[in-house]
Amino acid sequence: MDALSPPDGIIMNPRIVMHLDMNAFFASVEQAANPALQGKPIAVTGSGHRTIITTASYEARKFGVKTGMAIWEAKRHCPQLILVVGDNRKYTYTSGRIMEMMQEYTPEVEICSIDEAFLDVTHSLAMFGTPERIAYLLKARIRESFGITCSVGIAPNKLLAKLASDMQKPDGLTVIKPEDVGRVMERLAIQELCGIGKKMQRHLNLMSIYTCGELGRCDEARLTRKFGIIGRRLKQMGQGLDDSPVIPVGQEDDVKSVGHSMTLERDIDRREDILRFLLQLSEMVGRRARRYGVAGRTVSLYVRYADFFTSWGKQTSLGNYINLSDEIFKAALSILDSVELEQPIRLLGVSLSNLNHQAQQPSLFEEDRKKADVTKAMDEVNERFGSMSVTFGSLLPDREKQGSFVISPAWRPSGIRNVDVK
Amino acid sequence: MTGGQPVRIAVVFQPGVKARPVWFELNQRQHRITRTTYFWKDRVGDTPLLHFAVVTEDNALYELVYNSDDQTWTLYPHPTE
Repeated sequence: MDALSPPDGIIMNPRIVMHLDMNAFFASVEQAANPALQGKPIAVTGSGHRTIITTASYEARKFGVKTGMAIWEAKRHCPQLILVVGDNRKYTYTSGRIMEMMQEYTPEVEICSIDEAFLDVTHSLAMFGTPERIAYLLKARIRESFGITCSVGIAPNKLLAKLASDMQKPDGLTVIKPEDVGRVMERLAIQELCGIGKKMQRHLNLMSIYTCGELGRCDEARLTRKFGIIGRRLKQMGQGLDDSPVIPVGQEDDVKSVGHSMTLERDIDRREDILRFLLQLSEMVGRRARRYGVAGRTVSLYVRYADFFTSWGKQTSLGNYINLSDEIFKAALSILDSVELEQPIRLLGVSLSNLNHQAQQPSLFEEDRKKADVTKAMDEVNERFGSMSVTFGSLLPDREKQGSFVISPAWRPSGIRNVDVK
Repeated sequence: MTGGQPVRIAVVFQPGVKARPVWFELNQRQHRITRTTYFWKDRVGDTPLLHFAVVTEDNALYELVYNSDDQTWTLYPHPTE
């Protein structure tokens, strides 16, 4: 008996999992908001002058414009490309409303990123009919409310639902029924599976494994010898098996770290400039940690140099849990001072990890209590009037632009993963 | 977002329906709104801001922002490139 099969005599109904993927999300929102952009090749970029393409419309993709391309490269592929500076708040609002719509059909919605989610609709059919009907209702409501489209995949598990949603883009609906899984997987290239990257594909190709059918039939011991414990998982993926649950909003694992990074408008090498950005990042990290009542014992600093390709990250562990911005700053500074910078800096990142999710005890020392009170007062003012309304004096001079703000894949509509975007 | 300017505006508020901007004045000229193409919300601190992307009868696109705290409307240009 396969480990994933139910015990003999017990018939289990297959799960029905849906994967919903917004098509060229940011670009589609911009085209919906501005009729003059509809049907044209457009690309959404960040606000800084060193930004890259964050999303391209389908019209632009036909010319080879891709996410992550430098603007000059995108323009080389498509000279008539129209660039639109992204408005992250428009996208986070739209995403939040779409996620709310999904939760009207099932409470089991797992948000993967700003434009992707899994829904387990196994227990929603008595109320809404077939899974296809739920998909059509969602697609119609999203189109009606926002004028944008999505692709939906319906399958017995997350692996196949994701695969199905990728099969028809844009505006697709693809169903992989349990009885069709073997046929679909047989000739499917392994790199089509979510979780098999270029490196893994190379390793598998060297073992003469090119299709999911071949992967599923491969001897498990051979895969385990080569890849260790994930060998078994790879074989199951080849067979189209995946028992990972849809994890509803609010039931995700606790976050492991709180971090922020910024690409700077220009490369910096003057110590005072570096410290100013470091303090700003420390304040952003500290404020988010305090807002959600977490403190951490490890501070990490990440630096990418001007050449774009060279970078390093270092961390320091402390004897106690901290979340005050100046303490995070001091820890990050101690890391910076332990390194000799080789080049001007292009990107800086600070994060707090090894987290304790319990509220901190008030300190016994008056000095510390005063500092905590001042921080609390600053946080309250910033909550009410907007971030950075009150901040450290050393951050104020010329308030240099911080470069592009990119929505991380970890962004969520609420909770500690909800990062203020610009 | 920069470059906004306060505007005189006519808006229909109706129970149960999203507010609908009808016209605004810019450079001493009234611009009639033919379509709201997109709507979204955000907030600055405690203050909710309602954003309306609108097209006027001369096919120009504008963004109108309603600050529900001080009840003001601001007009922003809509840049591309």
